[in-house]
Amino acid sequence: MTRTPLRPLARILEARAKGENPDVIERENLRQRHEETRDAERQRAEGRLLVLAVFFLCAFVLVSGRMGVMAASDPVEPRAQASGASILGQRSDIVDREGRILATNLTTHSLYAQPPLMIDPGRAADELARIFPDLDAERLRKQFETRKFLWIKRKISPEQQQAVHDIGEPGLLFGAREMRLYPNGSLAAHVLGGAGFGREDVHSAEVVGVAGIEKAFDDYLRDPGNGRAPLELSLDLSVQAAVERVLFGGMKLMNAKGATAVLMDAHTGEIISLASLPDFDPNDRPVPLTEGDAADSPLFNRAVQGVYELGSTFKIFTAAQALDEGLVARNTMIDTKGPLRWGKHRIRDFRFYGNSMSVEDVIVKSSNIGTARIAMEIGTDRQRAFLDSLGFLKPTPVELVEAPGARPLLPRNWSEISTMTISYGHGLSASPLHLAAGYASLLNGGTKVTPTLIKQTAPVPGPRIVSERTSAMARDMLRQVVVRGTASFGDVTGYRVAGKTGTADKPRPRGGGYYDDKVIATFAAIFPADAPRYVLVVTLDEPVETSGEEPRRTAGWTAVPVAAEVIRRTAPLLGLAPDIEPRGEAGVTLTSN
Amino acid sequence: MSYLEYNVKTVPAGARKVLYLNWPLILLLTAVASIGFLMLYSVAGGRLDRWAEPQMQRFGLGMAAMIFVAMVPIWFWRNVSALAYVVSLGMLLAVEFFGTVGMGAQRWIDLGFMRLQPSEVTKITLVMVLAAYYDWLDPKKVSHPVWVLIPLVLILIPTALVIIQPDLGTSILLVAGGGLVMFVAGVSWWYFGTVIAAAGGLVAAVFTSRGTPWQLLQDYQYRRIDTFLDPSQDPLGAGYHITQSKIALGSGGFSGRGFMQGTQSRLNFLPEKHTDFIFTTLAEEFGFIGAFSLLVLYGLIILFCVLSAMANRDRYSALLIYGVAAAFFLYFAVNMSMVMGLAPVVGVPLPLVSYGGSAMLVLLVAFGLVQSAHVHRPRGR
Repeated sequence: MTRTPLRPLARILEARAKGENPDVIERENLRQRHEETRDAERQRAEGRLLVLAVFFLCAFVLVSGRMGVMAASDPVEPRAQASGASILGQRSDIVDREGRILATNLTTHSLYAQPPLMIDPGRAADELARIFPDLDAERLRKQFETRKFLWIKRKISPEQQQAVHDIGEPGLLFGAREMRLYPNGSLAAHVLGGAGFGREDVHSAEVVGVAGIEKAFDDYLRDPGNGRAPLELSLDLSVQAAVERVLFGGMKLMNAKGATAVLMDAHTGEIISLASLPDFDPNDRPVPLTEGDAADSPLFNRAVQGVYELGSTFKIFTAAQALDEGLVARNTMIDTKGPLRWGKHRIRDFRFYGNSMSVEDVIVKSSNIGTARIAMEIGTDRQRAFLDSLGFLKPTPVELVEAPGARPLLPRNWSEISTMTISYGHGLSASPLHLAAGYASLLNGGTKVTPTLIKQTAPVPGPRIVSERTSAMARDMLRQVVVRGTASFGDVTGYRVAGKTGTADKPRPRGGGYYDDKVIATFAAIFPADAPRYVLVVTLDEPVETSGEEPRRTAGWTAVPVAAEVIRRTAPLLGLAPDIEPRGEAGVTLTSN
Repeated sequence: MSYLEYNVKTVPAGARKVLYLNWPLILLLTAVASIGFLMLYSVAGGRLDRWAEPQMQRFGLGMAAMIFVAMVPIWFWRNVSALAYVVSLGMLLAVEFFGTVGMGAQRWIDLGFMRLQPSEVTKITLVMVLAAYYDWLDPKKVSHPVWVLIPLVLILIPTALVIIQPDLGTSILLVAGGGLVMFVAGVSWWYFGTVIAAAGGLVAAVFTSRGTPWQLLQDYQYRRIDTFLDPSQDPLGAGYHITQSKIALGSGGFSGRGFMQGTQSRLNFLPEKHTDFIFTTLAEEFGFIGAFSLLVLYGLIILFCVLSAMANRDRYSALLIYGVAAAFFLYFAVNMSMVMGLAPVVGVPLPLVSYGGSAMLVLLVAFGLVQSAHVHRPRGR
C-alpha cells in the first residue's frame, strides 16, 4: 500500500512559497490517511458482516422452518419407552381350577435416591422418615452424604408414592416395579409359596419364585412362550377357604399347636385343598427361623414337609393287603390276647377287646395286637413292597419345591418288629399327603393315584394296587369304623363317610422315647363310601380336648370332629348331594365313644 | 486512536439527547417485553401479581436504567470498560464463595434489593472490554498471534468461572459472543477455522471422557446431551421438557388456541413454564403466527442494531453494538432451538420475555450502551 506522505516536500515548499501554514497540509493528509485506513477497515468489516448476516439468516430460516413444521404436525402424545418396560407383565398368573386368580402381577414403584441430585438432603431424610416410620432419618442423612445411589424402598403404595412426590426432592426417584400380588392373602399360602425380586435395576426388576408352586414352576411362569396363559391349579378356592376356616377353628378348639388338611380327588390325585396352620401371607413372607425347629415356622408346610408317625390310620393297609393276598378273610378270627411280646418289645392295645376278634373288628376297634399278628402273616418283604407301591417309601412327587426334601423316615433295619409296628403306623413317618395318596390309591377301586396340584383333564388310571373287591371291602370296613367304631363323630349325615383314626405319641426330639402327653391325631377319610370321590386327611399337632373330666387326646375326640365339619362344609361345595344311605345288614348301630 | 476525538463538539448535548435516541429500537424492545407480560399473565392463569406485575416493574426500572446509560457519553463507557470487566470477574469469584445456591447451581449474588446473576453481567462487560481492546489496538495488528491471545484470555477467564458454577449455557454464550466480536473486529479467518476444529476435538474429548475419572462435564450435562440426541429415550425424565414443548407447539397449530386457552403449559405439564420454556406457551396460544411474529421482532431488533453500528464511524461504538446484538441473537436463537428440539436443553432464557429480573435488567442496560453509542456517534467532518 502506498502511503501518502504527511509532509510531501513539494507541497510544503509550494505552501511556504505562498506564505500558507504548511501544518494545514499535514493535518489534511493525516485525516486523509485516517479515512483511508477506516475505509479499508470498514470494507473488511462489511465483508465480515455479510458472512454474519448469512449466518443469522440461516439461523432465522432454520428456527422459523422448524416452527412451521412443528405447528403443522399433529400433536402426538409420546409413548412411554422407558427401557425395561418390555419385561414387565411377563410372569403368568396362577389360577384355581375354576379360573379364579390366586397370584397375579401388580405394577407398582420402587423408590431410590441419587443424593448428588438432591437440593436439601436433610429435609428429604426427615420427610422420608415421616412417610416410612421404619426408616431412620439419621441413617438416611448419613447415606445421603456418602452415597451416590441407594435404594430406599423396593415396593411402595400409590399413596406413599404421592407423599414422596410431594416432598419435591429431585434426588428421590421412582422406578417401575412389577410385584407379585396374592389377592387372597394367606389363602393357600403354602401351595403358592411366594415370589421375590431377582436381578433388579432402576427401571425394572425380575420377579422370581422363592417357594412353593411359584418356585417349582418358575421357568414356566416366566416363559413368554406360553403367551401368559395362566397356570391352572387343581385347588378350588372356595373349598380351600372353607377348609382353612374350619381347620383354624378346630385347631383352636382342640388346643392344637398346628393342623393340616389335605382334600384330594380319589381318582385323579388332584389336590382340591391343602392347608397347613399356622400360615403366613405370601405377599409379605416372614423370614425363615434361624434357630429352633424349622417345623415351628409358619413357612413350614405340615401337609408336605411334615413327616409324622401316622398311627392306626395305617392298619387298613395291613388288613387290605392280607385280604387281597387271601391270607385272611373279612371274618377270620384274629388272636388279640395281649400283650404281644416280641423279644424285649411288648405291643399293647388301648384297651382290652377280648381274646380274639374278626379282621373287620380289628380295624373297627383299632387293635394293635390284631394288626401286628396280621402283619406277621404278610411278612417284611411283602409289606415293604406294598407300602412302596403306595408311595410311602419315597418323597411325594407333588409339584412343590419343598416336596423332594420331605423324605419319609423309614426304620434303618426293617426287622420283624419293625414290620409289626409299621402295620399299625409306628416306626415309619410319612407326610399327611402320603397318607391321602395311599388312601386314595387303596380305596378308589384299587388303582394308584399320584398327588398333583395341577388341574387334570381326565383321570389317568395308575397301576393296580389291590383288586376292586378288596378295595370295596376295605371301604366297607372303614365305613364301619365311622358307624360303630372309633370315628363315630365322623358320620356326616348323607355323605357316608368312611375313615380311620390314628393317634400317635410324639417322639421326643432327643434321647429317644415318646412323650406320653403329646400326640399327633389323624383322621383319614374317604367319602362317599359306596362311590368314592374324595379323600380327606386331617392331622392335628398336640391336640387336647378338655370338655370332659379328663383331657382327651385321641383322634376320635379331636381330629374326627374337625374332619367331619370339613366334610359337612365342603361336600356341598364339591357338588355332592347328600343321600340317605340304605340300611346295612346289621340291624343294630352301635355308637361307641 | 479513536475518530471520536475529532467530533466531540458535534454530538448533541443535554436534554436534546433524548431526541436522538434510537426510538424504533426502544419501541421494538417494548413490544417484545409486552408479549412477555401477556404470556406471564396467561401462564399464571390470569393473575397479574404472580409474574407479570414484577416483570413490568423490572422492565420499567430497566428502561429507566437504559435511558440513564444512554445519556452518559459513550467515551465514558469506553474508558470504564476494563474496570467493568474486572468488577464482573470479581463478582463471578464472589459468587463462588458467597453465592446462593439455586436449582442445583451456584449462580446468584444477593444484593439485598435484588438477586444478581454475575454471569449475565459478564456477557455485557466482556463485549465492552473486547470492543475497547480492539478500539485501542492498531487495526494492522489484530491478527498477530500475541494480540489474538489477549482477547482469548479475556474470554476464557469468565468462561472458566461460569463453567464451574456450573452453567453450560452461559459459558457457551460467552465464548460465542466474544468470538463474534473478534470476528467482526477483523481477526484472521485462520484463527476461527482453528478454533472450530479444536472445538470439534473438545466435543470428542468430552464424550470419550464420560464415565472415566477425568470426566469433563457433570452427569446431568451428559444426560441433557443424551436427551437431546434422543428425547423419546426418557420421556418422563430429562426428555420431559422437550417432548411436552413439542406437544405444545404442535397443538398450537397455525393460528393457536387463543389467548389464555393453552392447556399444555397451563395445566402444569411443563416445568419452568414461566422462564426458559415460556416460548411454548406463546406457540400454543398464538400458534405459528404468534411465534413467527416474535421471531420477526427479534430480527428487527438485530437489524436496527446492525444499521446503527454500520452508520457509526467510532470503532468502539460499532464493535460494542455488534457485540450486544450478537449476545442478544445468541440468547433467543439458543432458547428457541432448545425449546424446539434443535439444540440440547441448556438453561438460556428467552430475552425480555422469560421471567427473571437480572437477565432483563442487564439486557436493557446493554441496550442503553447501544443507545449511548447511537446518540454520541461522530457526526459530520
